Amino acid sequence: MHLKYESQLREPLVYGEKDFHQVTEDICRPIEAKPSKLWYVGFFIAVALLMFGFYSIYSEVTYGVGQWNLNKTVGWGWDITNFVWWVGIGHAGTLISAILLLFRQGWRTGVNRAAEAMTIFAVMCAGQFPIWHMGRVWMAFFVMPYPNTRGPLWANFNSPLLWDVFAISTYFTVSLLFWYSGLIPDFATIRDRAKTKLRKKLYGIAAFGWTGSTKHWQRHESLSLVLAGLSTPLVLSVHTIVSFDFATSVIPGWHTTIFPPYFVAGAVFSGFAMVQTLMLILRKVYGLEDYITLGHIEAMNKVIVLTGSIVGVAYLTELFMGWYSQNKYEGYTFWYSRANLFSPYGWSYWGMMACNVLSPQIFWFKKMRRNLFVTFFMSIIVNIGMWFERFVIIVTSLYRDYLPSSWSIYYSPTIFEIGFYLGTFGLFFTCFFLFSKYFPVIAIAEIKHVLQTTGESYKEKVGGIEAMQGEEFAHDYAH
Amino acid sequence: MSNNKHWQSFGELNNSAAFQKASKDEFQEDLPFVSENESFLDAKAPRRDFLKYLGFSTAAAAIAASCEIPVKKAIPFANKPEDIVPGVANYYATTYVQEGDAVSIVAKVRDGRPIKVEGNDLSPITKGGTSARVQASVLDLYDTARLRFPTIDGKEVTLESVDKAVASSLGTGPVVILTSTINSPTSLEVINQFIAKYPGSRHVQYDAISYSGLLLANEASYGKKAIPSYRFDNAKTIVSIAADFLGTWLNPIEFSKQYATGKRIDEKNPSMSKHIHFETVASLTGSNADDRFLCRPSEIGAVAAALLSAVNGQGVAGILDAKLKSGIEKAAKELVAAKGASLVVCGSNDVNVQIIVNAINDAIQSGGKTIDWSATLNYKGGIDADFAKLVDDMNAGAVGALFIQGANPAYTWYDADKFVAGLKKVKTTVSFNSRNDETTASCKFVIPDNHFLESWGDAEPKSGYYSLMQPTIHPLFKTRQWQDSLLKWSGITTTYLDLVKSYWVAKLGNEVAWDKALQDGVINPATEVMATALPFNAATLSGALAAVSAAKKGGKIELSLYQKIAIGAGQGATNPWLQEMPDPITKATWDNYLIVSPALAKTLLDIDLSNGGQSDDYEVHPEKKVVSVTVNNKTVQLPVLIIPGTQPDTVGIAVGYGRSAGNGKTADGVGKNVFQFASLSGGTVSFEIANVDLKLTDDTYTVALTQTHAIYNTDQGNRTEVMKELTLADYKKNPETVREEREEELKPFGGIEKFETQGTIYPYYDRPGIHWGMSVDLNTCTGCGACVVACNAENNVSVVGKSEVARFHDMQWIRIDRYYSGDLDNPKVVFQPLMCQHCDNAPCENVCPVAATNHSTEGLNQMTYNRCIGTRYCANNCPYKVRRFNWADYTGADSFPDNQNQQLVGKLDDVVFVMNDDLSRMVLNPDVTVRSRGVIEKCSFCVQRLQEGKLKAKKASRPLKTGADDEWDLKVACQQSCPTNAIVFGNINDSKSAVVKSRVDNKFREFYSIEQVHTLPNVSYLAKVRNTYDEAEKAEG
Repeated sequence: MHLKYESQLREPLVYGEKDFHQVTEDICRPIEAKPSKLWYVGFFIAVALLMFGFYSIYSEVTYGVGQWNLNKTVGWGWDITNFVWWVGIGHAGTLISAILLLFRQGWRTGVNRAAEAMTIFAVMCAGQFPIWHMGRVWMAFFVMPYPNTRGPLWANFNSPLLWDVFAISTYFTVSLLFWYSGLIPDFATIRDRAKTKLRKKLYGIAAFGWTGSTKHWQRHESLSLVLAGLSTPLVLSVHTIVSFDFATSVIPGWHTTIFPPYFVAGAVFSGFAMVQTLMLILRKVYGLEDYITLGHIEAMNKVIVLTGSIVGVAYLTELFMGWYSQNKYEGYTFWYSRANLFSPYGWSYWGMMACNVLSPQIFWFKKMRRNLFVTFFMSIIVNIGMWFERFVIIVTSLYRDYLPSSWSIYYSPTIFEIGFYLGTFGLFFTCFFLFSKYFPVIAIAEIKHVLQTTGESYKEKVGGIEAMQGEEFAHDYAH
Repeated sequence: MSNNKHWQSFGELNNSAAFQKASKDEFQEDLPFVSENESFLDAKAPRRDFLKYLGFSTAAAAIAASCEIPVKKAIPFANKPEDIVPGVANYYATTYVQEGDAVSIVAKVRDGRPIKVEGNDLSPITKGGTSARVQASVLDLYDTARLRFPTIDGKEVTLESVDKAVASSLGTGPVVILTSTINSPTSLEVINQFIAKYPGSRHVQYDAISYSGLLLANEASYGKKAIPSYRFDNAKTIVSIAADFLGTWLNPIEFSKQYATGKRIDEKNPSMSKHIHFETVASLTGSNADDRFLCRPSEIGAVAAALLSAVNGQGVAGILDAKLKSGIEKAAKELVAAKGASLVVCGSNDVNVQIIVNAINDAIQSGGKTIDWSATLNYKGGIDADFAKLVDDMNAGAVGALFIQGANPAYTWYDADKFVAGLKKVKTTVSFNSRNDETTASCKFVIPDNHFLESWGDAEPKSGYYSLMQPTIHPLFKTRQWQDSLLKWSGITTTYLDLVKSYWVAKLGNEVAWDKALQDGVINPATEVMATALPFNAATLSGALAAVSAAKKGGKIELSLYQKIAIGAGQGATNPWLQEMPDPITKATWDNYLIVSPALAKTLLDIDLSNGGQSDDYEVHPEKKVVSVTVNNKTVQLPVLIIPGTQPDTVGIAVGYGRSAGNGKTADGVGKNVFQFASLSGGTVSFEIANVDLKLTDDTYTVALTQTHAIYNTDQGNRTEVMKELTLADYKKNPETVREEREEELKPFGGIEKFETQGTIYPYYDRPGIHWGMSVDLNTCTGCGACVVACNAENNVSVVGKSEVARFHDMQWIRIDRYYSGDLDNPKVVFQPLMCQHCDNAPCENVCPVAATNHSTEGLNQMTYNRCIGTRYCANNCPYKVRRFNWADYTGADSFPDNQNQQLVGKLDDVVFVMNDDLSRMVLNPDVTVRSRGVIEKCSFCVQRLQEGKLKAKKASRPLKTGADDEWDLKVACQQSCPTNAIVFGNINDSKSAVVKSRVDNKFREFYSIEQVHTLPNVSYLAKVRNTYDEAEKAEG
């Protein structure tokens, strides 16, 4: 990194006259200060939602899945929609931390910590759904392939749902390790600045005895690289496997080979939208505008418009194939159950189209990409759109499949299905509030690296040099 | 080796006394259980006993603490009764009797409890067939609403005291014994003896749905107040004028069986009977007809008259509707062409109409061919006028005592208020009914009758054909057969059992014959009686024709009251299985409603079913619009269902609903009573109402439907892979039509022959040994629903109640899909029984993360309940959507306490708790697991029966027989119950089995539903062939 040369023309990634100490001060300030009233209000709301979620799950586990409005034809509804939605959201974090690291995108350092935290919390939320959607969740351990006393019974490795179990748990583990290993030097910084004993002790434990020795840094760097290498395929594999839940089935609308790339693109799309939502709030509340700059926001908006367009192409491809295949069952699902606005669930398809394909096109304009309000609004829209996408895939395919006799009545959620979803928001934000209070929301150590090459102050320093002509520089250099 | 002494301590070295003592008393304390002077084993509890006790008590404590004790109440056989082996079922032949209906059955008794009824193969009438109501009747035995003891004025009394009280109050006036139709010779004997004892008494028969019109017309035409046997099997042309003979008319089981013989196709020589149906509101029979024509209820007489005139070659007169007119012309042509092999039946209760129908039958020479007077049908014998007179007598105070058995006029009589008022004027009122129904509630004395499974008796459903009844269980409650009561009150000391026995021993000659008859359950004529005709007396015909032509024309909208197959006139309303059985026509459960045609829906409801958006909207929302229906200032509010096949100016409502609370929680509050809309005209009760006011209200009402969409021809193409049907003309032209269609569908995957191997990238596995398969003939399936209830009973399928059915949570393992095709106003209907297809390449199996559903070596798609974790992935991936999930704790089998008191969402109906009652649970089949909440279940091909059948063959050391030479080691429940033998099941690896025969003999019609998905189902269907006019119409238009 230190050898990196970056053009003066590029926007600085850190604004302001910052030295290393100033960076530390800026990022550690919220951790060392008392939380604001706003934090308490937000935290309270999040915990309240979480409690409602607990109650919804309690009700479902006690009385049965009949507490939800699923039926004999529509076996999955909000539960799996929300599962896929949350998993998708998680993807941005991994993409930012792993793939962008490998691609040497310096701008990732401003947002990677929070994005990775988001990944972990989102995966935690996602995991709730496949667990609690089971009719007999107390038997959930049957999916674990471990030597047991139940005779030759073993998990069914043909089932995509089992692949999910491994995909999600691997994803969670690797993401957590990656995130945590990045946190170690920063915890050490907080430990070293701690003024109370308890603080020192807790952050000390969390820092695993980090001293900042060269050996530590060396191991830390190699570990990061290894984990980045591990995470990179996960970005692609996790949502690919999630898409297999549908793609390997026989249901028209699910049975589609395009699903893996389409799901991955959709996941990145929604993930970045969620990162935008969170970052825009975070930088405002914590005054981190110098670290999470307009440049970051623009870069992420570019990813959004790219992935949104990929997703759009996928939608159109599906429609095309629905016609081109001349398969009447697929034709019905794609052209009637979905694309027909006046069919019972037509609204969800066109909601999806409007949110995911049409509205992100606004980001072709630089002005819009750099407009905070537009960005924030769009980030919400995209997440709604991606929720619609999963709903469309799951419900509109299921409710009218092969035999017209089994076509379903209108499926809409009960209070407990909504409650479960809100509960995962509660879980997510409870975790995120705690994270933003107790953890450094920007990777201190990493931003310092970036600061050296692409910070505004650095750029100013070298700006004069860069402006020189060749001979002039050689002349100066000779001196 | 040295001789050094090794010592361990100084004490040992010195061998001091102290040491010696210490070493002797090394274990200073006494061992437990050992007393000072005894040797160790002499102790009362020596050490090894101690260890035994320790082990036992530890084990006992561990068991007591950790294991659930599943059986709470178990009463051992102190002396094991002979012939009862725990776990092995006994079968007793007996008779189902309900209000005149009598069907020979075999009751399956497990450990002293009847748990299932099946048809009796020895009966020449039903030939082993059953109906939904027969199948469900075993649950009535365990009905929690049954009266459990005799009462006087609602207070429990003993039998002796009620006998004394009734005896003392007799003799002050004529006694009337009011019963539903009784065709039991011994019961009639009992009544006669009573009447002999109390002169002036009389016996009045009353039928809720009366056949007075038919009986009186036959008296006028043939001089016999009786109903002849009909021989649908001899008829090449069947014309029905609003007679629902496959559903509710007389004995649908017998008629279905006969009807099916004319519908079964021989591929080599295809021919079929032709069935033309005229009706007002879509019925099961009309839906099965080759051609259906719609008329108004007020036109039924005119249609009959026009048909008569057309049959006589005088053309059709008095019919304005062009379609109807052409229908009558065609019917007449067919009838005449098949003279001597054609039959006209009519469901009207109007004497004049029935006389005209008799004249038609005379003209087409049905007598002795399709109408057989050698044996009469004795199901219905009540004459409305007799009952109307009784009601008048009661109101006039001319009845001293009224005994009521099996009749419930306070509910079913059109003027129930008058009957109840009359009942109050009768001094002594005795009800033998088994529930506190509308009539019983107003009776002073109640001596509940036994259920027929607890009773002795006999029946003569068809003259000369007897069916015997024997108890299969000791009476559950303090009930007594009504015949015993009457005998007692007549002062006769013999019991009814003795009477039945002596009657039959005398008739059969000896006791051995009686035992044999009891074992068989039926007594048949020694030789098949030749069909005979009676001469037709045309004297009353002109009067009838005049009366019909003078009949009042109907108003703008007319109303037809009809019976549902499951509920009848209300007999089925108290039975949870029947309430939850989807009506074959409307697919609705747990309600009655107003049936309207799509045309009327447009004007009345502003719903246009031909508009995609509006029909979607109508289908996906179970909340239906409510209409208030007014007849003669009586108003009832009912939800509306749009049912194609209904005459546009006619609406229909089912009777049998709106029962009083005394009938139990199952029936209470379900639907509305519309018997009050009926009227007495010309001495008979008419269920056709010529004028009805309909007013749309702003309310909606949820109707629990199990199927919402009925057309397989969608916007994106005709889903012919789901269902195949064609006309007889097409079939004759090219018998291979269906096969060619399949070949075309499968061409991209190697065609029919190679489809199995080339339709997949996976390797092919052969399937040696037994491989189970089923073949369903859609030509003979009438959609009656007997299989649905049979499956409920056999497999302990949960009843979930209306609220859950409305949420699409019904649990039935077999459903009958109903599809429409053609004209929206009068479509062709086809029924397709659909159960788990037991796919050899099942999509459900590979998606289960825990392998809870898997494939057996015998081709069964097995469900392992205790392995299931309830992800529902299998249900999603099932293209047939036959998997059912336990959304709530419907059975009480869950280990979670207090989990049936849902409040906010999914509140369970009372009926779920009724079914969980200890009494109701006695009906459960112990061979089938009761599923708990959170697991998937589905059709198992009655695996418990398969195991039993295999064992039977194995014990006899011979190969399994599934229909080879018509010998059966097993039949699955749906197959057993089917009145038309449309379902054939067996081993498809046995070339002689019936299922293979069915497939091979019908290989041109054979198809598998959506086989292009490569699920490789083990259930095959035979395409529906319809002997319709469509071809001719196509040529015309």
